[in-house]
Formats: sequence, C-alpha cells, structure tokens
Amino acid sequence: MNLGRFILNRLGQIVITLFIITTFLFLLFRMMPGDPTSMILDPKMPPEAKELIRKEFGLDKPLMVQYLYYLKNTLTGNFGKSFYYPETVLEIVKRKLPPTILLFTTAVILSYLIGLPLGKTIAWRRGSRLEMGATVFGLFFYTVFIPWFGLIAIWVFSYRLGWFPIGGMLTPEVWAADVGLFPKIWDVLYHLILPLSVLTLLFFAGSMLLMRNSMLETLREDYILTARAKGLPERVIKNRHAARNAMLPVVTALTLSLAFSLNGGVLTETIFSWPGLGKALVEAVLNHDYPLAQAAFLLLAILVLFANLLADILYAYLDPRIKY
Amino acid sequence: MGRFKENFNLFRKNRLGMTGLFILLFFLLLVILGPILPRIDEMYRPMTGVDKEILWSTPPSRAHLLGTDFMGRDILSQLAHGARIAFMVGISAALASVLIGTLVGLVAGYFGRLTDTLLMRLTDILLTLPSLPLIIIIAAALGKQSLWIIVGIIGLIGWPSTARVIRAQTLSLKERPFIEAARVSGASNFRIITRHIAPNILPLSFLYMTFGVTGAILAEAGLSFLGLGDPSVVSWGMMLQWCFTTGHTFRAPYWVLPPGLSISLVTFAFYLIGRALDEIINPRLRER
Amino acid sequence: MSLLEVKNLRMCYQTSQGLIKAVDGVSFEVKKGEALGLVGESGCGKSTIALSIMRLLPPNGRLLGGEILFADEDLLTKDEEEMRKMRGRRISLIFQAALNALNPVHRVGDQIIEAIQAHERMGKEEALRRVEELYRLVGLDPGMMGSFPHQYSGGMKQRAIIALALSCNPELLIADEPTTALDVIIQDQIIKEILKLQKEFNLTLIYISHDISLIAETCSSIGIMYAGKLVEYAPTIALFQSPLHPYTQGLLSSYPSIKGPKRRISPIPGEVPNLLHPPSGCRFHPRCPRAKEICGKEEPKYRRIKEDHYIACHCVNNSAL
Ligand SMILES: Nc1ncnc2c1ncn2[C@@H]1O[C@H](COP(=O)(O)OP(=O)(O)OP(=O)(O)O)[C@@H](O)[C@H]1O
Ligand SMILES: [Mg+2]
Repeated sequence: MNLGRFILNRLGQIVITLFIITTFLFLLFRMMPGDPTSMILDPKMPPEAKELIRKEFGLDKPLMVQYLYYLKNTLTGNFGKSFYYPETVLEIVKRKLPPTILLFTTAVILSYLIGLPLGKTIAWRRGSRLEMGATVFGLFFYTVFIPWFGLIAIWVFSYRLGWFPIGGMLTPEVWAADVGLFPKIWDVLYHLILPLSVLTLLFFAGSMLLMRNSMLETLREDYILTARAKGLPERVIKNRHAARNAMLPVVTALTLSLAFSLNGGVLTETIFSWPGLGKALVEAVLNHDYPLAQAAFLLLAILVLFANLLADILYAYLDPRIKY
Repeated sequence: MGRFKENFNLFRKNRLGMTGLFILLFFLLLVILGPILPRIDEMYRPMTGVDKEILWSTPPSRAHLLGTDFMGRDILSQLAHGARIAFMVGISAALASVLIGTLVGLVAGYFGRLTDTLLMRLTDILLTLPSLPLIIIIAAALGKQSLWIIVGIIGLIGWPSTARVIRAQTLSLKERPFIEAARVSGASNFRIITRHIAPNILPLSFLYMTFGVTGAILAEAGLSFLGLGDPSVVSWGMMLQWCFTTGHTFRAPYWVLPPGLSISLVTFAFYLIGRALDEIINPRLRER
Repeated sequence: MSLLEVKNLRMCYQTSQGLIKAVDGVSFEVKKGEALGLVGESGCGKSTIALSIMRLLPPNGRLLGGEILFADEDLLTKDEEEMRKMRGRRISLIFQAALNALNPVHRVGDQIIEAIQAHERMGKEEALRRVEELYRLVGLDPGMMGSFPHQYSGGMKQRAIIALALSCNPELLIADEPTTALDVIIQDQIIKEILKLQKEFNLTLIYISHDISLIAETCSSIGIMYAGKLVEYAPTIALFQSPLHPYTQGLLSSYPSIKGPKRRISPIPGEVPNLLHPPSGCRFHPRCPRAKEICGKEEPKYRRIKEDHYIACHCVNNSAL
C-alpha cells in the first residue's frame, strides 16, 4: 500500500467515527425526556421562523426521517440558526475555529518540543536530582486544576505585573485602525503568550514522562548494547539509537494525549476569553443555545480526529517497518 | 497477607508515592473536620451558615481562619465540605468507570472475534474524543444538574483506558497454561473468568482507579467552575466559580487560593500514588 | 605471546536479594590467532565474562577485582573514552540473542558505516565500499545494504552482525553463542563462516557456547565453566582424550561421539547451583560422583597440572596422572 491509500483508509475511518458521533448527538438531543423540539427550536422565535425550521429539519415527520434530515443538514454544514446570536451556527463556528487551531496546535507543538528532549535527558540520567525535580514539577502541572492555575497566572502576570492583557485575542482598536499587517500579528502574539505558556506548562509533562518511560524501555534493547559494542560515542547512542526509537511509542500515544489536551484547551479558552470553539461550547451550553453547542462539539471532535490522522502519518514516516 | 506487606514496603520506599499518601491523609483530616465545624457554631454550615456580623467577603480572622465568601460564609467549612465531595465524586466515578472498563476489557479480550472488534472500536472512538466537551454536551442535553448525574456521566465516559489495558492483560493471560488446563478440565467461561482471570487483573484495575480518581475530580471541578455543576452542592469547583463570578478573583487571594490548591493537591496525590503502585505492579519500571 | 590475559577476575550483580557472584576468580589466557572456547551450563557466567572484557556490564554489575590484560594493557583501569575506542575497533563482540541486535529504524548498511566512522576518518564513499566488501566476505548480497533489518532473515541478520563485528579489523573477536537463535542448517553455515574468517584474518577468537561438540570443532583450546568458576582448561585434544574434572567427564560422557547428534547439556544429575548462595567448598560437590569430605569444606585451587592443562579439583592430584 502506498501513502495515498493509507490516508484514504484513515479518512474512511474518520468518516465512520463522525457518523457515529453525529448519530449519538441526534439521539442525545431527541431522546431526552421533555419536549425535544425545545432543543432545536428557539422558544423566542416568531412562529413563521419556527415553521421554516420545522420544515428544514423535518420535525413533523417520524424520528427516522428526522434522522435522515439531520444527517443531510450536518453533512452540508447546516447546523441551524443560533438561539443566541443573530447569525447561523455555521458562520459562528467558522469564526471560532481558527483561534482554537492557533492556540491548540502551537501549545501541543511547543510542549512536545520541550517535553521530548527533557524526557530523553531525565531517562538518560536516571536517578539524578534533575529527574526527580522535573518529574515532580511536570506532574504537578499535569494534574493541576487548570482554571485555577490560569486565573493565578492572569492575576500575577496581567493584573499585578501588567505584562500581558487580561484576556481576549485582539485589541479591537488595533484591528480597526489602518496600521498594516505586522502590528496586527504582533497584537495577536501579545495576547497569545500567556495562555500559550499556561497550556504548554500543562501539557509538557505528558510528553516528557512518556518519553522518559519509552526511553528507559528502549535503553534495555539489544541494539543499544550493539551500539555500545560498536564503540559509538554516548551522545550518538543517546540520540540516534535510543531517542530515535523511543519516539515511536510517544507518537502513538500522541493520539490519546491530543484528546486529553483539548480538555485543557476548553478550560483555558474560557479563562482567557480566547474566542475559540471551547469557549463557544461552554457559553452555548450556558445560554441553552443547543444548535451552536452541538456544532462546536462536532468541530472539536473533527479537530482531534484530523490531528490524529497527522500523528498516524508521522508514525508511518518514523517507523520503516510500517508499510502503511 | 505477606505479599501485601512486601508490597507496602516497596511502596514505602517510593518517595513520591509516600508524599502523595501524606497529602491524602491531610485532606482526609479535612473531611473529618467537615461535620465537626457546624456543631461548634451554626455559622459554620458550608451552604447556609452566615455570620451575623459579616455579610460580605472578609480576609482571614480568628472566627474565620480562611476568611469568608461574598455572603459571609466561612471558607474553611466550605473547604472541608468540598473535600468530602471531592472524595465522594472522585471515588464513585472512578469506581464506576473502572468497573465498566474491566468488564469491557475482560469480555473483549476473553471472547475475542466480533465482540472484541466491536467493543474495541467503541473504546477507540470514545478514547479519541475529548472527554470534557463530551461531558459538557451530555450534561447540557440532560438539562438539570445534579451531582449524581454528573458522577454518572463521568463514570460512563472514563472507562476506555482501563478497558484497553485490561483487554491486553486478559489476552496474555488467556494464553497461559493454567487457563488452558482449566478449560480442558471443563470449567465454564464464567468460572474461568471469575476464578482465574479476574484475580490476576484486579490489581491492574485498582491501579487504574487511582488514575481515574484524578480525572473524575478534575472533571467535576471543571464542570462546576464552568457553571455546569450542581448548584446545591458546595464543591471546590463551585467555590471557585462563586469567587470568579462575583468578581473577587483578583481581590480575595484567601478565597481563590484554597479551593484551587486543594483540587490540584488531591489530584496530584492520587496521581503520585497511582504511579507508585504502577511501579510495584510493573517491576520493569522499577529497575535501575 | 598472549593477546588477552584474564587474571583472577571477580565480578557480581547487585540484586534486591543480594549479590550474585557471577564470575568468581577466573583466569585464562588467549594467544594471538588462537581460538578459545568457553563452555558451561546456562547461568554459569559465560556472557558475564564477555561483557566484562568489553566493559559493558549492566548498571547493577560490579567488578570486584582482577585484571584483564589486552596487549599488556589492563582494560579495567582504562577510562570510558579509552574503552570506547577499543570497542569495535580492537575488540569486537557478537552477543547472545542477537536477532534484535540491529536497530530496526536504521538501514543495516548505515549501521555498519556508523561503526566504521566512529573509529576511522573515512568518507562516506570509502566506507560504503568497505561495507560492500564486508558483505561479500560474509556471503551477503551487497544490494541488501540499503534495506532495513526487518527485511533480513535471521541468518542474514547474523551475517550482517558478523560483518559489523569485523568492520574495523579487530584483533579479538568474542562470539557469545552467535547461533542459538538460528535453525540448525543456518547455524552450521554461520559457524563455518566464522571459522573461515578466523583463519583468513588470523583472528583471535573467544567462542562461547553451551555445546561442547560445537566448541570442539571450532576451538583449539577449551575452558569449562561451572557456577562462576573455571574448573578446567586444556587444549581441545587433551581435554577430549583425558578429561580430568568430574564435571568435564560428565559433560563428555553425555556426548557419545563428537560427530554424533548435538544435544543440550545437563545430563549430570542435580541442579545448577544458585549463585546467590553457592555451595561451600567446591561448587560442584553436591552433584559430584567423586565428592570427598574436603570438597564441601575447602575450595579447590585452580592450578596447572600439565603443560597447558589447568584444573580446580580436590580429587585430582598430580600423582594420579
Ligand atoms: N543484570 C543481571 N542482574 C542480576 N543477575 C544477573 C544479571 N545478568 C546475569 N545475571 C546472573 O548472573 C549469572 C551469570 O549470567 P550469564 O548471563 O553470564 O550466564 P551465561 O553463562 O551466559 O548463561 P547462558 O548460557 O544462559 O547465556 C546468572 O546466574 C544470571 O542469573
Ligand atoms: Mg550467556
């Protein structure tokens, strides 16, 4: 099999998973006790508008038919109208997706860039003070209550020291003004630094500890002894033989940790008023804006699934034994 | 029993594990303190007790060692009550998810074939979904929030990682000669699972429970903090939410710090204990 | 002139149950161009000797004493960097269970080139040519150089490992059961290969095996190990004609003919002793058919009994010869 077929195969699996998730969402919101239409129809809507949606979603038809309508609408990106905002749900989530991708992917990449070398080092220097320190430090952030930690960070760095903005992603004045691209990018970066640092601090322990364990396993392998018997310098053994191989299980585990990371992402977005999907989901639920909540959830799920696809491709690239 | 003692000695040598244990003991003391405080004075009731002289948030004083919240309720008693809630939520949700996970893993691993494929497919899907958004959306669909419903949702969602590990373990156990011997001698599937396989995987389930507690406490606290928790229960997440929504975050350090630190420390402690147990169960992690 | 001289080597492994004295006072020497065989039951410390010579003991291994003289230099006093320069260049090791000895994520040819370049300043081109030559030497198709280990069969991997071991023209080659993981026919081929190369390059060889008949085909002298000790050492012919130690006699009697079918050794009644608590006196005495009172009390001295024939046993005295 070649890479193209492999990706197609995985895409097929993603489609099946999405189908299951969509079905689950449908059942979740239609099977609940009480009037299910209240979760689809905005109580504040004028009757004509209600009628329109009834048609569009087939609400007067049997459940099975409703389901087909639902699938068709979801497939075409028709998530209905928001109960809370004057826009359609699709317009809203389209706007919320890029901030989430920006914050989430940079945080994941950065935390791996920090976690992997650290994990490699502490495995190599097993039993050292460094190992103990990094483990305790990392584990604390791994299990810390994120909103609280975020609040403290804002309190110290934004409120007290005034280094960073209290929240948000942009300064409206800067973006309204005609100042060119660079100041705008700088403005986003300025807003990004604190939430990004918080998320990175929260995530890096996961990859560090995984890398450490994987590296310790790898160091026991026969080929490490071969590398020593060849007379290779320690540095080469550590990097080219141990760490290179230890990466494989870490990349596999990336799949799971991405979903875990997104939990932190949702909380962090809320705390930092970062205008992303996670914050949108939470607000939608609080506003009883069910169409938006479902769409935001679905998009978060798609985000993870595609991130996983990337991880799979990376794995196939790293391990020559995989023939896609 | 001898094995227990030997394992406990191993545990005692694990400095991080012992640290976790001591942190937990501290919070267990707090749990015990919970019901005692309101007996001293009515105003120490976590939800309804109000100090007649104080009707707003005040810094620590002699009567209120950790200060009071925006309605003048005692923060220490709330913290003590929150400790009880955290243990309750954490342990019951983890228990539920470990039970489901063990069952799914056992059945999938033991029966194999289509059962295995289907169950593992489901496990993988659930495992790749971000759990907090999933909990949020289910809680939203269910409408009213009660603590036990939240515990139920967390338990229903947290099982896949356990299921995977238990399945792998079951698969390897299934190949052992003593299982083969039991089968040849005519033991039923049920008997083989309960008598021969289950005892060998229970330590692993227990291990995953300690990790599950961490996840459950964090999830409940997260929901409460987001305003999706049970408003009639004083949990640590709820305390933080009150503090946040009443705008005290940057003004009342005595109020922000304790609940968040407690959540973080308890989950940290469970995680440390889990890791220490992991090293006992998997000796390979212990080797130098 | 002897290339390698091991003098009273003692080492142990630290475990949670106590010290395992895996090698306890072993002495032998290997002359240049000679092939020495080390034989003994599983767990008697053969691999440990090989790893001690390479100074590649696991972290819980401790050297307690002795000397390992290689070309008159004591390897045990060398620092890590000096030792690294010896490994692969002057002393090569093919270690046991080597099927996983090649790194799965790198091309096999690259793994050999890497070994060459660790010791010699050599361009990629020239190194490639050297590897090609090595491949032909060990009977591999040079076209396989760019493949990954999982594309090699077990026998091919073992040949590649031999090529790797020979890549820097070492003076001493230690082969620790190089064929255990292979099937019998391939085993035979590999052994023939090693012998051919040994003759061709006048290599000094230490060959470690369970299988005394195999050693007899390969080596000019043999050391018999038992429970961390060398119990007898002699030229192959002498050993087979007149084995002196009861343990050696037991071993040989279980092989009716050298050319007969190969079998694993453990025909002697009793169990291999636990090295955590080895038997007092002569470690073989609980299993020895000729054990006397003194055997349980006093350790027999390892001494020379004839020209090139060494033994550690109370029951054999010079007059008995
Ligand atoms: N890393 C280690 N830690 C503790 N004990 C060890 C270690 N490696 C080996 N041993 C013990 O040291 C003794 C000698 O082991 P060694 O591997 O040298 O035996 P061997 O003669 O090569 O056996 P085999 O023929 O099975 O390869 C054995 O009793 C073994 O159990
Ligand atoms: Mg060995």
